[in-house]
This record gives sequence, C-alpha cells and structure tokens, in this order.
Amino acid sequence: MTKRFRIPQDRSATLKYRLTHPRSTSKYHDFLALEDVSFDVPHGEFIGIIGRNGSGKSTLLKILSQIYVPTSGSVVVDGLVSPFLELGVGFNPELTARENVLLNGAVLGLNRRELNRRMEAMIHFAELEQFVNTKLKNFSSGMQVRLAFTVAIQAEAAILLMDEVLAVGDARFQAKCFEVFNRYKREGRTIVLVTHDLAAVDLYCDSAVLLEHGKVIGEGLPSEVTAKYRRMVADEQEADAIASGKAGHAAKQDSTATRWGNGDVRIIGIRLENGHGEEHTNFEADEPMKIHIDLEGHRDVDDIVVGIGIHRADGAVIGGTNTRIGRTPLPPLSPGDRLRVTYDMERLPLLAGVYRLTLAAHPVIHSLTYDHLEQAVEFRVTDESGRTGLFDFGGAWAVTSGQPTGAVA
Amino acid sequence: MPLTSALRRSPRDAADTPSTLRRHINLTLELAWTQFKLKYTGSVLGYFWSLLKPLMLFSIMYAIFVVLFKQRANEFALQLLVGVVVFTFFTDATGVAMSSIAGAGHLIRKAYFPRGILVVASTISALLTMMINLTLIIVVATPLGHLHFGIRSLALPLLLVELYVLSLGFAFLLSSLFVFYRDLGHIWEIVTQVLFYASAIVYPSTVVPARFRGFFFINPVAQIVEDVRHAIVIQVVPWTAGYVGLRALIPLGLTVSILGFGLLVFRRLTPVFAEYL
Repeated sequence: MTKRFRIPQDRSATLKYRLTHPRSTSKYHDFLALEDVSFDVPHGEFIGIIGRNGSGKSTLLKILSQIYVPTSGSVVVDGLVSPFLELGVGFNPELTARENVLLNGAVLGLNRRELNRRMEAMIHFAELEQFVNTKLKNFSSGMQVRLAFTVAIQAEAAILLMDEVLAVGDARFQAKCFEVFNRYKREGRTIVLVTHDLAAVDLYCDSAVLLEHGKVIGEGLPSEVTAKYRRMVADEQEADAIASGKAGHAAKQDSTATRWGNGDVRIIGIRLENGHGEEHTNFEADEPMKIHIDLEGHRDVDDIVVGIGIHRADGAVIGGTNTRIGRTPLPPLSPGDRLRVTYDMERLPLLAGVYRLTLAAHPVIHSLTYDHLEQAVEFRVTDESGRTGLFDFGGAWAVTSGQPTGAVA
Repeated sequence: MPLTSALRRSPRDAADTPSTLRRHINLTLELAWTQFKLKYTGSVLGYFWSLLKPLMLFSIMYAIFVVLFKQRANEFALQLLVGVVVFTFFTDATGVAMSSIAGAGHLIRKAYFPRGILVVASTISALLTMMINLTLIIVVATPLGHLHFGIRSLALPLLLVELYVLSLGFAFLLSSLFVFYRDLGHIWEIVTQVLFYASAIVYPSTVVPARFRGFFFINPVAQIVEDVRHAIVIQVVPWTAGYVGLRALIPLGLTVSILGFGLLVFRRLTPVFAEYL
C-alpha cells in the first residue's frame, strides 16, 4: 500500500483563480508518506507502530480507519473499527459533559438508551460527578481527558486504532490506560497503537512495526523492533554529537534532563542491566538490577564520589545513595582515564511504575559538582503480585495464637 | 505492489451490536438535535429567534407590498407568510449544510463515519425549525380563518418531501464543493437572493404574465411555494400544474436530478475531504 500526498505550493482555493487561470496546472510537490507498506495483523493481536515524527505512523492509522484513501494498494479490514483515533475528537466546548457523552457515544455507535444506562458509571469513573451538567469549556484539561477516555473505552468495536493516546495525561492516567489495554487483550480485541512510548510497546504489544520515511524497516517481536529503533536514534545522536564537536559525551539523555557541573569528571555512559546482564529499561519487581556508570577524567582529580537518586514519575525523590555512604572509595583520575562504577541490587524493591534515575559525580565535600545528570534515564518496573505503592517493605507475615499484646486505640 | 492487511473477524462484532444503518441513523439524529440545541442555547430569546427572523422578513415585505404599494389582496398576508417560511427553510438548510463538511475539519481528520451524515444532520435541524414554524402559523392563523384544510391539503406532506429533497440535493453539492472553493459561500448568497425574487414569494404569481408562467414555474422553489399555498391557504391560487400542464414535471425532474447530481459530486469528492481540511 502506498500513500502519496500532493501538496500544493500555493492553494488556489478561489474560484476566481480557477477561472482566470483555467490552464494553469497547479504546482504540486509529491510527498510519499507511505511506500509499499504491507503487513498483517491477526485478530486479537496488539500491535505497536513506532517511528520518528513524520515517518508515516499517523497516516498509516488514518488509512486503516478509512479516513484517507490509499493512492495504491488496499486495506482489508474484517470487523468493526472504532471510529476515533484520538481522545476527545468530537467534543464540543459548548455542550455539557452529559451532552458530549451522548454525542460522542453516538459516533461510537451507541444509542441514547444504552448511554443513559451507562451514564452514572461513566461519570463516576471519570470522577466528574459534580460536573455532569457543566459545559465542557469550563473543564480543566485533565477533566476533559478523563471524560474523553471514559467515552472512548465504551467503544464496542473489535478493532481499536489509537494515535498517541498515552501522550496526554499524568502517570495515574497512563496506569488506567494500561489497565484498559489489558482488559481489551483479555477480550480478544485487536489493537493498533501508534506511540512514542517504547517501554509501553515492549510491555504490552504482541508485535511491532517500525516506520522510517514511509517504509517498514523493522517488523516482529516488540523487544527487537524497539531495540532497533533505539539504536537508530542513538546512532544519530552520536553522529550529531560528533558533528557538533561533543564526541564522547553521548550519555543517554532524556530531552527533559538537565545537566550541570564543572566537567572535571564526566559521566560518559549509563547502562541499566537486568539479572541476565542484558541492557534494559523494563524490570520486574524483585529481580536483580545493576546500574553501571562510566566516568572519564578531564583533569587530575583524587576526590570523587558517585551518587544515584531514584525519582517517581512526577519527580519526587524516593531514595538515593552514593559511594561514600556505601564505603567504596574511588581511585584518582587523570585526563583520559576511564572508570566504571556499578550499583548492584540483588532484589529491586520498587513496584510497578515509571521511575527516573539521577546521577552525579562530586567531591566528598559536596560544595562543587563535577557532573550532574538530573532525572536522565527513565525505566519501568512491572509487577504482577498486586502489591500497591512504590516499594516493598521486605517484611514477612506470620500468625501466632494467644492474647494480643498491642492495643488498638 | 498492492498487498493487503487483514484484520480478522472478532467473535464479538456481529450479533450484539446494532446494525450499521441503525447506528448511522442514530448518529444523524443525535447530530441534528445537538446542532438545533446549540443554535439556540446561549441566546436569551433562544428558539424564538428562528421564528422572529421569518416574521421580521414577513413584516417588512408586508409593509412594503401591502401597505405601501397597496397590493390589494389582504389574504395575501398569509400567502406571504407561508412563502417566507418555506423559503427560509431552503436558505437555512442549504446555507448551514454548505459548511457542514468544511466546518467539521477536526472530526473528519480524526474520526471515521460516513461523511454524508454531517450534511443530512444539518438539513434535519433546519427541517425541525421549519416544522415548528409551520405548526405555529397553523395554530395562530386557524382561528383567523385564513387557512384551509381539505382534500388538497393532503398534498402538503408530498410538497414538503419535494422541498426537502431539493434542499438536500443542493446541500450535498454545496457542502462538497465548499471544501475546495470558499467563494461558493458568497455566490450562493447571491443565488438565493435571486431565487427569492424569482419565486413569487413577495408578490402573487398572478402578476406574472400568463405566457411567461410556463417558464416561471420551471423553478422548483417557485413551484413548491405556490403549491404549498394552494394546499393550505384559503385564498385559492390554482395548482401550478393548472397553469403549465405537463411542464409541471420539469421542476420535479429538476429536483430529483439536483439530488442525484449532488450525491454524485459528493461521492466523488468524499475521499479527499480529510486531506484538504
């Protein structure tokens, strides 16, 4: 299947222009948004489509949903496709929450009776009980997203197409999204998810497709496809770094990360490893985890402490430690010397969630900083046990008979 | 290299979801009702604006033609009113429907459903307005004794269907072309103005010289207005067919052809709406 867009250089959208320039063949430049893209999605599969901005992901989704017509080739869809690609598409700010639910529900194919039957549960789920009859324009964006999400998951279609639904909303909202994804999977629905969230693709998808310049360049197991994409992006960043004369500082950085320090010692690499010694960004609770930090000296320094801090997705610090607290002295470094410092956890105490890692190198007297990477690496922890919160206390339960020794209020 | 992407059937589709047609009708009505509501919420007089507008037009026309020019027919007042209401529906339905596609860009780019639903929904909300206006006229004018209900009134529903089909035809044509040519908005305003004066709304059709009438009633709008008057107003103007004989089939044929042509153009252009908006 191929999709070509003809992008007019100068849109001659007036009749006068057409009449006065009857022969002018408008100037177009063709843009191949998708080229010979072809893949199958078996029923019941959860497929992730990844790729850079402009690689054709959304165009592909629009063709699957019949919004666009392919220039050549065809799409065979067997089953009812959910009409919405994004959250809150049909929302009207002048209507109340209830009216918007009725209207958007109708686009989803639900009738009024069915929607009224579900209304109370929906409003409760969206946590909007007091705002049922409030116009949407008076809603905060968070409230709108909650309502949109609640309506979207009413869809009874067997095939769901979703474009960046994870990009909106906070960590709690994302957790809700994943709950719903899991439910859909159990129900055997087919899901096509376009996203930039590689960790989510790794975790939830059965297969993945990587698009680049409108072509499929990777297809198959999510872990392999996301790894290919990560490598692609990393290579490019390195190339950029070399081009801009900053070679060697290709420490993986999130775009939101901030970095400071005098540069006497630089952190040049971060590697998170699972129990099998593989580099990963997804970890199971209770499994081993190693954090490797690679340092490079830029001046003679004999007083180095390396520290880490782990943050919750919203930035709050959960915990931190450093080599001094851990009584692990570091050798002095001269310019060009390299050193790997490892923090080894036999049992990762964190529970399911998204976390960020801060790294720093500084002298014992922390009055100056060599290098500090604030919340530079993101990783995800999964847990099937049902424990709640951020971490496991590590305690054990026991039951003994006899008189209570403690009093409850 | 055409290859296919098959998403195989799920066990949950077929039986427990309502039929496609049912869902589309449900969506059309929901959209129409929403538009109707939105048009009148937020304004103090609400719905009465849609009654007030044709009434104002009527009053002005009445003042000019009956009071000022001493148009003799006193009964003509009701004929004028009926004509104005019918014509207001025509301009309302076509005017609102024209931007129904171009004005729903966000929805069209991000969600899929048959695009014609948007067009039909906007004509239905105009239809709702006209129905209420006609009902009010009937309620108000009946005690005054200018209305007639008899065998010939049975033609009214048929005439309204003709009017709706005509408006729908233009609605499909205009809404799809308007996506590409925004000048159409202005052009259509002029066309409706010409139609207004060419359709014997503000003057009795009897002022048209007999030899031009055959030509005059080729215009479906003129024919519908005149026949609606014949159907329900006591001052009997004859059926247009009475003037023009077999040529009465021309406006009917035109109405149907306009719908056909409108649908054809709409179908041809539908696939590119999402790319242009």
